[in-house]
Amino acid sequence: MKNFNKLILIIGALFGLMACNDAIEIDQPGRLDADAAFENVSDLEAGLFGVYDNFDVTPEIAFSSVFTDELAIGFDSGGQGLADYGFVLNAGSTAPEIFWVRGYAALNAVNRLIEAAEFIIPENAEEQALYNQILGEAYALRAWGHHKMLKYFSTDLSDDSALGVIILDFVPTIDQQLLRSTNGEVYDLIEGDLATAANLLGSSTVDKTRINQDFITALRARIAAYREDYTAAANFSQQLIDDYPLANRAEYEAMFLDTSDGEVIFKLERTIGDNYDGQGVTGSPAAGGWAGARFAFVDATLTGSPYFEMGRSLFNLLDPSDIRYTVNIAPTSVIDPDYETNQNAARDILVIQKYPGSEGQPLMNDLKVFRVSEMYLIRAEAYVANNQLDQAASLIKAIRDARFGTATVAPVFSSQQEAYDAILDERRVELAFEGHRYIDLKRLGQRAGQGVEKDPVDCAFNGACTLPADDYRFTLPLPIVEFNANPDLREQQNPGY
Amino acid sequence: MRSKIRRILTPLLMVLSISISFAQEKTVSGTVVDQNNLPVPGVSVIVVGTSRGVQTDFDGNYSIKVNRGEVLRYAYLGLKDVERTVGPSNTIDVQMVEDAEALEEVVVQGYRTAAREKSSIAAQTISAETIENRPNASVVQTLSGQVAGLDISTNSGQPGANSTVRLRGVNSINGNVEPLFIIDGTPVDADNFRSLNPQDIASISVLKDAGATAIYGNRGANGVVVIKTKQGKYNSPLQINYTGIMSFNTLQDNDYDLMNSQEQLLLERQRGAGRGDGLTDEEIAAAPTFDWADFFFRTALTQNHTLNLQSGSENATQFTSLGYYNAEGILQASDLKRFSLRSNVSGRSGNDRFNYASNLTINYSNSGEPNGIGTAGINRNPVLAAYQSVPYITPDEYTNGAALLSPLLFANTPLFILDNLNTLTRTEEEVKIIGSFNASYKLTDALTANLVLSADYQNEILNLAEAPDSFNALLFGGGANPTSGFNDQQTRRQFTYNQVTSLNYSNAWGRHSVDVGAYLEYFKAHLRTFGFRANGLDPKTFYPGDGSGFVDDNSSNDFFVDQANANILNAGLFSYFGQADYDYDTRYGLTGTIRRDASYRFAGSNKWATFYSVAGRWNIHNEAFMSNSIFDQLKLRASYGTAGNQRISGTTYFSAPDLTKNLFATGAGYAGFNSIFLSQIANTTLRWETVTSANIGLDFEVFDRRLRGSIDVYDKKTTDLFQNTPVSAINAVTALNANTGDLSNRGFDFTINYDVVRSNVADGFNLTLKGVGNFNETKLSNLPSEDGVIIGTGRNDGKIFEYYTIRYAGVNPANGNLLFYTADGDVTENPNADTDRVWLNKNIFPDWQGSFGFDMDYKGFFLTTQFNYVVGVDRFDNDLAGFQNPNNIGQFRTSRDLLRAWTPDNRVTDIPAYDAFNRASFASDRYLTEADYLRLRFAQVGYNFPSRFLENTGLTRLRIFGNAENLFTITKWRGFDAEAQDNTSRIYPTPKILSVGFELGF
Repeated sequence: MKNFNKLILIIGALFGLMACNDAIEIDQPGRLDADAAFENVSDLEAGLFGVYDNFDVTPEIAFSSVFTDELAIGFDSGGQGLADYGFVLNAGSTAPEIFWVRGYAALNAVNRLIEAAEFIIPENAEEQALYNQILGEAYALRAWGHHKMLKYFSTDLSDDSALGVIILDFVPTIDQQLLRSTNGEVYDLIEGDLATAANLLGSSTVDKTRINQDFITALRARIAAYREDYTAAANFSQQLIDDYPLANRAEYEAMFLDTSDGEVIFKLERTIGDNYDGQGVTGSPAAGGWAGARFAFVDATLTGSPYFEMGRSLFNLLDPSDIRYTVNIAPTSVIDPDYETNQNAARDILVIQKYPGSEGQPLMNDLKVFRVSEMYLIRAEAYVANNQLDQAASLIKAIRDARFGTATVAPVFSSQQEAYDAILDERRVELAFEGHRYIDLKRLGQRAGQGVEKDPVDCAFNGACTLPADDYRFTLPLPIVEFNANPDLREQQNPGY
Repeated sequence: MRSKIRRILTPLLMVLSISISFAQEKTVSGTVVDQNNLPVPGVSVIVVGTSRGVQTDFDGNYSIKVNRGEVLRYAYLGLKDVERTVGPSNTIDVQMVEDAEALEEVVVQGYRTAAREKSSIAAQTISAETIENRPNASVVQTLSGQVAGLDISTNSGQPGANSTVRLRGVNSINGNVEPLFIIDGTPVDADNFRSLNPQDIASISVLKDAGATAIYGNRGANGVVVIKTKQGKYNSPLQINYTGIMSFNTLQDNDYDLMNSQEQLLLERQRGAGRGDGLTDEEIAAAPTFDWADFFFRTALTQNHTLNLQSGSENATQFTSLGYYNAEGILQASDLKRFSLRSNVSGRSGNDRFNYASNLTINYSNSGEPNGIGTAGINRNPVLAAYQSVPYITPDEYTNGAALLSPLLFANTPLFILDNLNTLTRTEEEVKIIGSFNASYKLTDALTANLVLSADYQNEILNLAEAPDSFNALLFGGGANPTSGFNDQQTRRQFTYNQVTSLNYSNAWGRHSVDVGAYLEYFKAHLRTFGFRANGLDPKTFYPGDGSGFVDDNSSNDFFVDQANANILNAGLFSYFGQADYDYDTRYGLTGTIRRDASYRFAGSNKWATFYSVAGRWNIHNEAFMSNSIFDQLKLRASYGTAGNQRISGTTYFSAPDLTKNLFATGAGYAGFNSIFLSQIANTTLRWETVTSANIGLDFEVFDRRLRGSIDVYDKKTTDLFQNTPVSAINAVTALNANTGDLSNRGFDFTINYDVVRSNVADGFNLTLKGVGNFNETKLSNLPSEDGVIIGTGRNDGKIFEYYTIRYAGVNPANGNLLFYTADGDVTENPNADTDRVWLNKNIFPDWQGSFGFDMDYKGFFLTTQFNYVVGVDRFDNDLAGFQNPNNIGQFRTSRDLLRAWTPDNRVTDIPAYDAFNRASFASDRYLTEADYLRLRFAQVGYNFPSRFLENTGLTRLRIFGNAENLFTITKWRGFDAEAQDNTSRIYPTPKILSVGFELGF
């Protein structure tokens, strides 16, 4: 008995000693160490898909539509988005935090990919081509990422000496606290990246869901227009106008059902099973998820629980014979022609149908980033800047002709302001719910003499009906969350906050 | 019944009883009963100075042959010894009373026990008496208020719900804050007690100071709770005990003052929203008022049956327990059914050198746990429907899920949830096995070798199914997918193994005694999960959890693609440590502990850490100068030491397993292509959180033990706090966790018992007042930010998780808008959301908490009460915010408070105008509410039938009792349950429970 127990004890003690390492040196299964993450060009391609996954425009769609005059509170509202709808915007608001934090997360991911690529040597010409393509897309994404942030956080996109955003073209260390660069510095980086990308990318522009040479041209056109460098804007937009015909009515409808690319220059693919296949955060710029879920919980019909409806002031700009009416308004909508006198929201339900769904999934659609109609409108803007008002009018007519499917009367402008106002209205209709309205008001509103203009019926409950384009809230505040780590940046907070 | 049991038992008793007889002068016989007049079997009756003795039989009777003038000693563990001199009488009946001292005499010291006078630690032990016969599924809930410094809050009324347990404040920000729970030597998952039968527990010891917990090194930083289960006794006959308890659970009250249908519809008509819009006065008057809270909550029935069998022979004992517990939750579709079996066996060699014991419990439980609790999902959360549904909608309006699709109205919330009740299944099934084996062998009289092997295994299976014809399936499937719906099954298996081998030396010379131990501990934990979601269910063959109705993927769409998941995680710890105790004359003593620990979580030089403690004691009452004092006991204790927390993030063994590495992951990326992305930025300096604590305590018993108690003051400091440290967003995250900053908890605990009336006779009147309390203050320091402030965590010298928000100032009489204070104290309608926030010096944790009450008994009747109190808790009443939100009019139920909203005719009020422009603009402290409370947590009244009543019944023991839990609460909190320390709205409140039960002994 005695020996037996000693034996147990000794075995027990030995077992304990020998097993020591097995208890405290544990490699969890399924972990990918940094060294093993990127070993060849195809790993880089997988990395690129990870980078792309950081790019989303649903937060912009959500914020722009709620904060401006594209929406009305829906009959199935549970109180979603009321602060943004009431023009409440401060450093603690969701939009600035989301745009800032996700913007830099995307840039960080690009930089990690570019850094990883430095250590990979392609083994043959085929690999080299793929390698170049991947890097080219990465540089283009970095340029786009910077501009996506710049347009929200810079007070004046046309002023190179105004404060821009923090430049991030490297993988930072966790203790770095950087300050904002000027717009000019940010534009230099963007232009450099776009030039690098243009050199690296192949010539095929077939796949509209991947960055190609046309994306670069379109981005250059948009940046130039926002920067009010209208010579460049005219040049780049014209290149695309020459290559891409405007969609006809059937193509236009198909384009928003994702059954055809139509006039799309670039779009972000959204498909079943990807990381955006879900409802996302409803009523908030945090968004994510299906684009259509920014307006309705279930689907883009009357019974799809629309918590936001189309704003009356936007609806009133739409002509039923315009294909954009058909595309934007669900046929199940309840329309009250006497809405002003009846004042009954339950009898006037304007259901937004821009994102009806695809692949059988309601509300899920590809996110159209560049369409050629925007290039037409940029070109028109450039003509107006150059005081060529008739040429501008003829481009607007071209768009309307395509949308109505018949020749329309060309508008006549007696002043630049009138022309800008018409361009802004045309953009409002053409690019509705695509995340443009807020930035368009910011940069064109004052020239057009136009601000946020809600129909009184949509703002009777909160009194937040108008917001002039020179309001400080057309520039987002830097978010509080950044100040926690980077207190010196407080000094560079935008005016008004 | 009786005769049957007798027939079974008699042969056993003959074997078990010791009956040694000598030449006799006379025979004395009698009955031994306890203070409740219940017969005590197995009492050893010994003739002092001889080795002659007998044991009382099953009915407490004995008979022994003695000489006149000899002294009989009656002894039984837990009862005070009684001695009687044999006189002329042939009958000696004896009543033995409980020896509270004896029960408390042994103090659990962690890996060993020590006599009370040789213990230096701050610990409190509670016995089975205060745990038994309570209707709670989880023993942790029962512990609430019983131990000074132990703060237990339960945020859910789900039967068997996990409670949050904190000992003496919060020691960690991100990591584990709960004490280590050890059952019969097995460290167990502190979050899972629903499968364990509280009726099996013999005692619970809570170890509080560094002197006690340092020996648990890597897991002792938050204190240790040592649970011992019941054991059989050597040389005792078979005892059978049955306890049955039946409980009635109901929803606690609220003070939200909610509107009835008429008020609600009138308000809706006034606001032009919802069903009331356009109704006539007659239509409104005719509307029914339906109480949805009463519909979704119910009077729930709980039954609890426990059967114990225990016995012991010369060298073996056994304790067997069978339990069946069936609890309905007060919320429909929530319930818990549990079968439990426990077998505790111990044995020893004839020379008593070798001792062993095994404790095994096997439990199976199945619970219904409704989905979406605490969320804002109107189609998911039944609590939301119960609280917020408009009263004019009745269940008669429900036909099926399809009918709810159009028009899709928020106001139909109760009907969505009603549909859920019919179509949603969510159950958790669990097998839990805890087993331990310990053995010791005395190598010499002084040297003992010990081994403890233990394991905790749990297997949980979650089954969640949304039927294809449910409202939710139809809603999200749409017309395109008529066989929508899904079935999830998730299996989680967790196995932990712990092994301690040790060598103990214990000896005494004259007035000196020493006790030295060397230990080696090995711990390993394994987690395996897997599960699937089957999308698409065929209503013809669907049954939750059964695959017959699963619809396969096809080429025309992706609706029916199923998803699988699996995860493997492992964890481990290794330590070696020693403890030495020296005692001089049971007057002075010193205990020292040192421990080296390694954790799998850390890398390089941070993997190992050393923890230590020293503790001293002075038994002042043993000093000569105290010999005539009023003190029966007076002991001064002091300790100082460190303990580590390696569970620095998350609350499971497995959370944050490799934060020291830069990691990438693969998964779905853009357009669904497989992608590689960064998943974790390494923290290469990760290390243990260390809690250093000092404790000074005084234990006292005065006035012939009438007044008993202890007081402890403590000062704890956690250093190297693992917490969110803000980093610039350029790093793709806005915070990274790092070991930085300190957190202190200072305070004191007290436990006091006073026998107001103590009867000298057996069934006389006794009344004891009792109270426990704790005051605790947390303070942050060295926070990792430039200005010493981290929003969400707190500020230097402030409370942990201190609220930081804009102060609400009331309603502007001029226009009904909300007013707020700026940081400087000026009043404004438009505060700056960033710079006008201030620190409120409030948090969600109590400053004071504890309980008081009394125990009373007289002639077999007994009455116990326990009032719990909590002071210093501030919570956001987000439910109230919903009831007072004018935006909810037309969709949800509102409070009558809204009737006093600002109007030009009612300018001075606390409710803003319905259309106040800034009503949803700013986060403020408007709904931050004091949640202090005083609650009758527990009351019990009962009666022990005296043995004379039971004479011809076959019973040896009969006790009936009635319990009440949460009978009433005095609080400013307007919600359903003041207890939850939680800011989430729409959560499942704990119930009010009334129960009756009885206990039978055979």
